[in-house]
Amino acid sequence: MTKFLLNHLIIAVLIMLPGFGLAQSLSVSGKVTDNKGAAVPGVTITEKGTKNATATDVNGAFKIVVKNNNTALVCSLVGFLSKEVSANSQQPLKITIEDDTQKLNEVVVIGYGTQKKADLTGALSSVNAGDFKSQPVTSVAQVLQGRAAGVTVMSNSGAPGGDASIRIRGNNSIQGDNNPLYVIDGFVGADYSAINPQDIESIQILKDASSVAIYGSRGANGVVLIATKKGKSGDTQVLFTVKASSAQVLKKLSLLNAAQYAETVNAKALATGTTPIYTQAQIDQFAANGGTNWQNEVFRTAPTQEYQLNLAGGKEKTTYYIGANYLNQQGILNNSYLKRYALRSNLESKVTDKFSISFNFYVNRQQGTNLRGNLGRQSPVTQALAWAPTVAVFDAAGNYTLNDPVGSITSNPVALEQDQELTNITTTANGILDLRYKFSQDLSLTVTGGANYANTQGYTYVGPSVSQNLPSATRSSLEGVSLQQTDNLTYSHLFGGVHRLTATAVFEFQNYQANGFSATGNNLTFPNLTYYNLALASTYGVGTNYSNNALSSLLGRVNYAYKDKYLVTFSIRRDGSSKFTTGNQYSTFPSVGLGWRLSEEPFIKQLNFFDNLKLRGSYGSTGNQAINPYQTLTTYGNVSTSFISGTITPGILMGNPGNPLLKWETTKQVDGGIDMEILKNRLSFSADYYHKSTSNLLLPVTLPLYLGGGSILSNVGKVNNWGYEFSLSGDPIVSKDLKWSSSFNFSLLNNKVVSLANGQNIMYTGSSVGSGLSTQSEFVLIPGQRLGTYWGLTYEGTWKPSEAAAAAQYGAVPGDAKYLDLNNDQQINGSDYHPIGNGLPKYSYGWNNNVTYKDFTLNVFIQALTGFSKLNYTYGSAITANSDNRQATIADILNRYIPGVNETSNIPGFSKTNKNYIQSTRFMESGNFARLKNISLAYNFSKDKLKKVDLSVFVSATNLWTITGYKGFDPESSSVTSAPGADVNQGIDYGAYPNAKTYTVGLTAKF
Amino acid sequence: MKKSIIAISALSLLLLTQCKKALEQDPKGQLVGTDAVSTLPGLQAAVLGAYQPLKNGYTSGFASSAIVGLVMGSDDLTTHPASNKQDFREIDQFAASNTNGRTPIIWLGCYKTIININNILTAYKNTSGNSAAVNQLLGEAYFLRAFSYFWLVRFWNNIPLITASSYDAGLLSITKSPATDVYKLIEADLQQAEQLLPNAKPAAGRAGAGAAKALLAEVYLMEGGYPINDQSKYALAAAKAKEVISNKALYGFDLAPDLNVLWSGTQTAINTPEAVFELEFSSASGNGNSIYGKSAMPGDENGWDDYFCEINFFNNFPAGKRKDATFHTTFIMPAGNINWQNGQTKHPYYQKFRVNTPTPNYLTSSTNQPLPLIRYAHVLLTFAEADARANNAVSADDYAAVNAIRSRAGLAPLNGLSANDFESAVVQERAWEFAGEYTRWFDLVRLQMVESANANKNTNDLKPIGAITKANYFLPIPNADLQLNPNLSFK
Repeated sequence: MTKFLLNHLIIAVLIMLPGFGLAQSLSVSGKVTDNKGAAVPGVTITEKGTKNATATDVNGAFKIVVKNNNTALVCSLVGFLSKEVSANSQQPLKITIEDDTQKLNEVVVIGYGTQKKADLTGALSSVNAGDFKSQPVTSVAQVLQGRAAGVTVMSNSGAPGGDASIRIRGNNSIQGDNNPLYVIDGFVGADYSAINPQDIESIQILKDASSVAIYGSRGANGVVLIATKKGKSGDTQVLFTVKASSAQVLKKLSLLNAAQYAETVNAKALATGTTPIYTQAQIDQFAANGGTNWQNEVFRTAPTQEYQLNLAGGKEKTTYYIGANYLNQQGILNNSYLKRYALRSNLESKVTDKFSISFNFYVNRQQGTNLRGNLGRQSPVTQALAWAPTVAVFDAAGNYTLNDPVGSITSNPVALEQDQELTNITTTANGILDLRYKFSQDLSLTVTGGANYANTQGYTYVGPSVSQNLPSATRSSLEGVSLQQTDNLTYSHLFGGVHRLTATAVFEFQNYQANGFSATGNNLTFPNLTYYNLALASTYGVGTNYSNNALSSLLGRVNYAYKDKYLVTFSIRRDGSSKFTTGNQYSTFPSVGLGWRLSEEPFIKQLNFFDNLKLRGSYGSTGNQAINPYQTLTTYGNVSTSFISGTITPGILMGNPGNPLLKWETTKQVDGGIDMEILKNRLSFSADYYHKSTSNLLLPVTLPLYLGGGSILSNVGKVNNWGYEFSLSGDPIVSKDLKWSSSFNFSLLNNKVVSLANGQNIMYTGSSVGSGLSTQSEFVLIPGQRLGTYWGLTYEGTWKPSEAAAAAQYGAVPGDAKYLDLNNDQQINGSDYHPIGNGLPKYSYGWNNNVTYKDFTLNVFIQALTGFSKLNYTYGSAITANSDNRQATIADILNRYIPGVNETSNIPGFSKTNKNYIQSTRFMESGNFARLKNISLAYNFSKDKLKKVDLSVFVSATNLWTITGYKGFDPESSSVTSAPGADVNQGIDYGAYPNAKTYTVGLTAKF
Repeated sequence: MKKSIIAISALSLLLLTQCKKALEQDPKGQLVGTDAVSTLPGLQAAVLGAYQPLKNGYTSGFASSAIVGLVMGSDDLTTHPASNKQDFREIDQFAASNTNGRTPIIWLGCYKTIININNILTAYKNTSGNSAAVNQLLGEAYFLRAFSYFWLVRFWNNIPLITASSYDAGLLSITKSPATDVYKLIEADLQQAEQLLPNAKPAAGRAGAGAAKALLAEVYLMEGGYPINDQSKYALAAAKAKEVISNKALYGFDLAPDLNVLWSGTQTAINTPEAVFELEFSSASGNGNSIYGKSAMPGDENGWDDYFCEINFFNNFPAGKRKDATFHTTFIMPAGNINWQNGQTKHPYYQKFRVNTPTPNYLTSSTNQPLPLIRYAHVLLTFAEADARANNAVSADDYAAVNAIRSRAGLAPLNGLSANDFESAVVQERAWEFAGEYTRWFDLVRLQMVESANANKNTNDLKPIGAITKANYFLPIPNADLQLNPNLSFK
């Protein structure tokens, strides 16, 4: 630490050395050595503020002609601290550069405090603003995606601001929330979707028990600490960024054209004994004139613009950062968009030597329209694959065609986009005030008060063309207030120069309360007045709701380091939650972490190889209380039903039975890790192994329909997650003009259901995504198997002519679908269902590269997820006649089994006896993909050319290319949300909003 | 220094006021436990709410064509041979899988109502208020439970018999009860209901004592045949039906004079005197009747072809007013009307279930039309058949009952038949009168006529896959429940 300060002091002094004499060119020569006196080659020597530069030779010598003899020279080399020297010092210059131990002296934010990076015992990953600087990220999910080992990000929805599932070290919980806990500038449980990524300075991802146990009952899924930007004392810095993008759907599926469709429909009619629908004349006409390409009708090229203005600066004692942002992101489905206005102000002031204040405040207004990303059968995407290409978008009168007489039985896909609106406008205001009092150098008290206010106004309209001519509209309002108090007393002292002790004690209380209401007008008298005049309607619906919960916590932590060599962290937290009944409300979460910096040991030091070498290990427990309030209670729910035709009467129905015995879900985690840095910190490597065991799993146990269906939330069973995480980063090329820095991370994640309650050997969970398409639970939990295991039939291809007799036993004919008859009872039914695959990615890769050549910077970022399968309902529903679809639209149907023509095909032919089960291996596909997530090229105009402005421009492409065998639009998007309980159901794609391919140009000016 | 301490203390205090709220749940706005029905309005909300699972869209109950799917095995109904009709087709072909998507809709609807009624039948004891009003609601509750179990026992025969007032983990491993036990409960419930209920229905779509008696007559008639085969029930059926017929004014029942009113597809069809028990709907509020409308209409007219009439049934149907009111045989198409023989499915469709919304020909799959599940016509024909079977002779009252129906249908009256011939004629009359109305299938079952009714299919109709056995008389228990409770696989 002192060395660090000293270095900075020297630099500061050097900078402030008053120059003298007239500006004139001067030839300067010198030699650069390290602190052991050895010559350092390859050091870049730059005339400050210019592009005039040279490099030292093998002897560390250099020569440069500077234009201004008052200037300073900047010496820089990776692995060393950069240094400035005055050009007109005594010649030849003798310059000594210091090893960059800054990385290790770096102080990182941990929960409820900070710690020297070198002293960490936990497993942390960091993402800094620089890592995503020239990438057009618009959400925190995009910032995290692929950038940190152990963090899996899936963009479930390609809708602007769309849902993403962010998982740290897998999925602990089945019912509970698996989203990590977000802590923004100390506000615990913040809404990450309300954060403008441009305000982010750094993100720390806490993964192991020793780091997260301090968050106790909410730490089980890992913790994401986000620190926003701060001002630095000095002149005001103005940063202005503008970006413009254009997005398109990743790909379009190969569908039948109108003539092919008509021929196929007729072929089916003939094969099943009904009357062909199309005449030859119609078919010829379609062949000549084409039909409707519904995919082209629902997708579009969508523009996005974003502006960011930062003002940062301050005086000696008071600094500020102000960030303002406007984002207008149009979605690739028509009439869908996100608009965001964000304003942040971060202030810090040292009132006295002992007393300091910081106040961070942001407001954010976000409007999302038609971003229903995960909708199944009523999604415009599903319907675009269901509507007959022989039907026009509009009828002769110019209205939306209301009925597809042949294909889909539901609404026109374009009308689904245009004749309904689902808008949510959320205004978030968050303020967090820290008052810090330093009693002494060692002891300080911080009292933090935080408040988060979120107000969501909903505006829904369902127009006549998508509602059987019964237009309706809804207005809703939801107000949520979350309050936090944290009192933090921290003592830190270095005893005898070798024992560093930091002790922290915290009291924290959080309370959340929500109030909402909604009003619906049905069968609007004047549909064109939409939700602006609900009173003119034939029936009404109203609703109000209230919810609150509180969490009260006490926690303590001790960090001890001996000579920065032996490190111990011990923490304990006791949480009480109002969500449980008395007796089950409190739980305690302890942890311990150990670290040994081998690189400080003489026997390692003498190897002269490791700049840092550390072994880490930790063990601890965390909890999960992420259930909804009141689930311990049995409650009635509201229903409305009709007695006098055309009116409704309110009534009540029993809800799910409450479970008063509910208690905390507990995760115990053990972690072992190693960190090393070598080659003057040019290469760093980190590896971790962890094992998490979650017991008292919260699971909604499905109740039989004969008990009215629904579920009862219970603590059942146990699940283990274990895995490895590796990250490697380094600077493979470092030269004067060309630099390449690269970081790679890889995680392997495995999990297993260990046991289920009451010795049960199977439990069923449904996604309800495939309502109408699949009638059975789509997932099962079986001890010994992974979470996210699909339950279904094995498809064995089509019955072949030689198997006609066997087929007949199943009531089938050759060309019909053949399924594995597990129990050999000559019928295909529920007893033939079995585990058929898994929807949770097992391997995750991220590779980020920055190549700088002179003033150009190229970023290439590749992400991959492998080891999982998807159940492709989108494709399945479009190639079979099922649910809302009466005909196939996928071009592959042309290759179906046709008796006497194509009897080898495994795509079933048309018959009266064929049965298509979507929930089968026929529609299960590998979801593996590798994706060029970002490629961007930035050009930085030199300051000397533009006087005072630091200007850079960039072009980038997101999701430019994807390697995958997946037949749907996008292996990444899924119809299951990141919502609690949905994790095990991940992997079903039913008309999900696909991700986009986006091209962006941007400009940043700093002055 | 001082200021800083004041500031810190003030903030702490400000925040500490928050923590005073203990960690207690404050379920404002929630109806917790059985308290909700401690008042009369609360009890009423619970009873009215218990109707809702019987007509909850495509999710549960009788609001969607699921109910038609379940009776597809009868000779008055069939479905599209291809299209998206796998669930219907496999029942029509007597090859129903326990994974069928339609069976759970009826199963759940009935059971969800039962579960709620079970709760009410205990919770009402805490209800304070006018005891007559409480009794009336109680009667309605008994009716609903009996009504629900009657559908379940007819479709599935031996079933879990749930009467517990609240959830209990032991219910997760319950075994099936024999149908006789279920019928016992149904009879007892209806006997309670007829005592407790007022004579006339309290409102459209709700049950009165007349409905309880009419349903009880139906129950007895069913018990007279397969699988209970208790012939002594015919006399009870006749007596109960007679009670309703003799006091029809008291209960507010009568035949609608004109079938075209009954099946007008407009407001006039709602809550006619003929509606002994019907479900009411409100499409605008998302409580629509989706059996009618698109579901019943031909693809040629932008319908969904979910169900229509088998060809032989149609051909044998006696011509006249009733046939015209029952069937839709000329399809209205932009390029000119066509006859059903030239339609896509080459089948006649039901006129009964078409709708005429205020905007004519606007196709809808969500209608305001009521769903009559017991008509006064049922009472008359149940009486005629049961009375003849009970006495092995045909009385003048029996002829009067059946001829009232025939006369409205524009057919000549029956007379001079032997008891056997009369019984067959009434069963046939029920087939015509209730064509497409979820009645024929149960007649075929109780009289063990399923095989014969499916023996000689028209070439354009779906044929059974394999031979029909008594096992095909009942549906497989939905796999979802079988998975959760393997005990249900035992007989």
